[in-house]
Amino acid sequence: MFNRPPAAAPARVRRHELVTAHNWTGVDEVCTGMKISFLLHNAYGIGGTITTTFNLAQALAERHDVEIVSVLRHRKRPQITPDPRVSLRPLVDLREEKDHASHRTPAKVFPSAEYRYRQYSRLTDERIAEWLAATDADVVIGTRPGLNVHLALQAPERVLRVGQEHLTLDNHPAPLRTALRRAYRRLDVLTTVTEADARDYRRRMHLPGVRVEALPNSVPDPVLPPADGHAKMIVAAGRLVPVKRYDLLIQAFARVACEYPDWHLRIYGAGEQRDALRARIERLGLSNNAFLMGPAAPMEAEWVKASIGVSTSSFEPFGMTIVEAMRCGLPVVSTDCPYGPAEIIEDGVDGRLVPVGDRDRLGSALLELVRDDERRRAMGRAAAENARRFAPRNVVAHAERLLEEAVAARSAGRSATKTPRDVRQNLVSHGFAARDIAHTATGRVLRTLRRGQR
Amino acid sequence: MTTESGAGARVNCVVDAEGRIALELPAPVAATRPHLLLRLRPKKGEPVTVSRTVPLEAVADGPARGVLEPLPALEEGRWDVFLLNGPDDTAPERLRPGLRDLRALVDGHLRDRPSPVAVRIPYVTKEGYLAVRAWLRTAHAEAGRIDVGDRSTTVTARLHGATFEDGAVVRLRMRGSDAPERDVRPVTDGDHLGFRFTVDHEDLAAGTAAEGGIWDVFVHPAADAPPIRVARLLDDVADRKASFVHPAARAAGAVLRPYYTLDNDLSIRVATG
Repeated sequence: MFNRPPAAAPARVRRHELVTAHNWTGVDEVCTGMKISFLLHNAYGIGGTITTTFNLAQALAERHDVEIVSVLRHRKRPQITPDPRVSLRPLVDLREEKDHASHRTPAKVFPSAEYRYRQYSRLTDERIAEWLAATDADVVIGTRPGLNVHLALQAPERVLRVGQEHLTLDNHPAPLRTALRRAYRRLDVLTTVTEADARDYRRRMHLPGVRVEALPNSVPDPVLPPADGHAKMIVAAGRLVPVKRYDLLIQAFARVACEYPDWHLRIYGAGEQRDALRARIERLGLSNNAFLMGPAAPMEAEWVKASIGVSTSSFEPFGMTIVEAMRCGLPVVSTDCPYGPAEIIEDGVDGRLVPVGDRDRLGSALLELVRDDERRRAMGRAAAENARRFAPRNVVAHAERLLEEAVAARSAGRSATKTPRDVRQNLVSHGFAARDIAHTATGRVLRTLRRGQR
Repeated sequence: MTTESGAGARVNCVVDAEGRIALELPAPVAATRPHLLLRLRPKKGEPVTVSRTVPLEAVADGPARGVLEPLPALEEGRWDVFLLNGPDDTAPERLRPGLRDLRALVDGHLRDRPSPVAVRIPYVTKEGYLAVRAWLRTAHAEAGRIDVGDRSTTVTARLHGATFEDGAVVRLRMRGSDAPERDVRPVTDGDHLGFRFTVDHEDLAAGTAAEGGIWDVFVHPAADAPPIRVARLLDDVADRKASFVHPAARAAGAVLRPYYTLDNDLSIRVATG
């Protein structure tokens, strides 16, 4: 069955594939075979989705032809530099097209219930549609709900459609959930950043034929030696906005400063709550212990000055700063909010999880680590070790496996929802491991295509 | 993995407790004899007169490294950092910061310093370039806790490069010409280094002109000793004006607030009306 070429095989052989065309059997051959395009809201800004997309794109560029398509562009250069191997293509340049008539007309394809709806227009509708119709990508990855909808509705059949959700289903407003429920059925793969959110999508949305899987964000390998656990410093980082609950952190830290006046708290970030937080620090008499440091990038050099990381959010779809701090060797005390922290921290091993909004439990958890030098250092070492699963090479391996299996399943005429287990059950008599089968299938497809080109 | 964008090569640095700065350009340098050039930023409109060079050792296709030794000390001020591709390079390239590992500086106030007190902290300029903030003072009084109460403010501090003798006084000097002064007696520790002093809010407000003013804080460690500026220099924070903020107090219709200047010196601002 694997020798049969797929029915409608598009011609997609690129120059770099031909270089290795004599090598029919290796996995590498398959991996270098894909052109992957990310569809991003605005690659020229700053933010968690942008950073994690650039990181994944860079890691995939090791073996694939990768581009980032930015719907909007508002400045000459991106603020985060993409890897030189990753090409960047803007669709609407706001510097010139801000007043374009179509850009002043509301979007029809981009769902109106999406958070960013007001930044989209008939012009973005058209440009995205045109680009999708013409793309030679094997895989297109949408990076936010509205763009996933575009992908689901407008990507040609030959393209593997992968939607990424960086927020959570539970937190989407009902009208958006309704819009997504309809559109997402037409995706091949939907990734969430946590298992919990993936479970929500499987349970609450009927998405037959869509493979729903968690793909965590990656955090680059630290460059600096890890923190040694001796510093009398606690660090938090994030925008100074209510959802981060820095008000609660400052209150909880008051207990630490009272018992251990030589311990300091530094909060990095900017935001609307700065003055209110400053006032709280002053009211609690913490001006000598708690500091609003302003934004810092990169954070790595700041994490290593501390010996405890802390995250007090009431909502955290993933929790990048938790992973960053752990990779730098800090145990992290975090609220157990939906959904990221509990999938990152192993309570009592590499950090602590405390109930959302509970000042006393938060203060006690911090004090526990402040008091016990040995425990703090041991947990810091465990944190660095355990957080390695979020290293780009591990996350990208996961992403590649997912994409390859989905491509293989499609090419072989099967639904992408078949998990490796299904494949193994069907084909166990052939004596192959499921992953090898997936790779072989893709390899054959490409091989056949190459023959066709000769 | 990804870095902030912008033209200009990046340089990583690691500072040790003695102020030694190890610098590393991760990207290979094309030059055969690359050097780092540090230039003391002159006053606006004046030419550069003071500079330092640091030879870089380049590994083929690897990083280039150099060390700025603690001695000789850098003159006080802001030193901009450039890459010189050779001795005759007339257009040095201004460098941007990579990672600045300053963790060895965080507890710097715990170590007593001899005279002169030299401090250097690599930092990022407003335009996003790497620079080194340097202080060089015969003696230094490091401010620690500042407790702003209802009626008075108490500052805890420690001398470096000098010791207390008889007749010591903390002197607050109003900025400007024909400036008034206010003296308070420091309470010194047994080691003749640590001290604290208390400023009465009403007294200071009464001594301030109607339009308000700024009091700079000095300590004279002996009766006839020259003044030592009270400042906070011995950690990793090159610019603490916006982050090390202390509460304001009200007295005699004025608002008083101790604060750190752009040079990390301690002053007290009195605003009236």
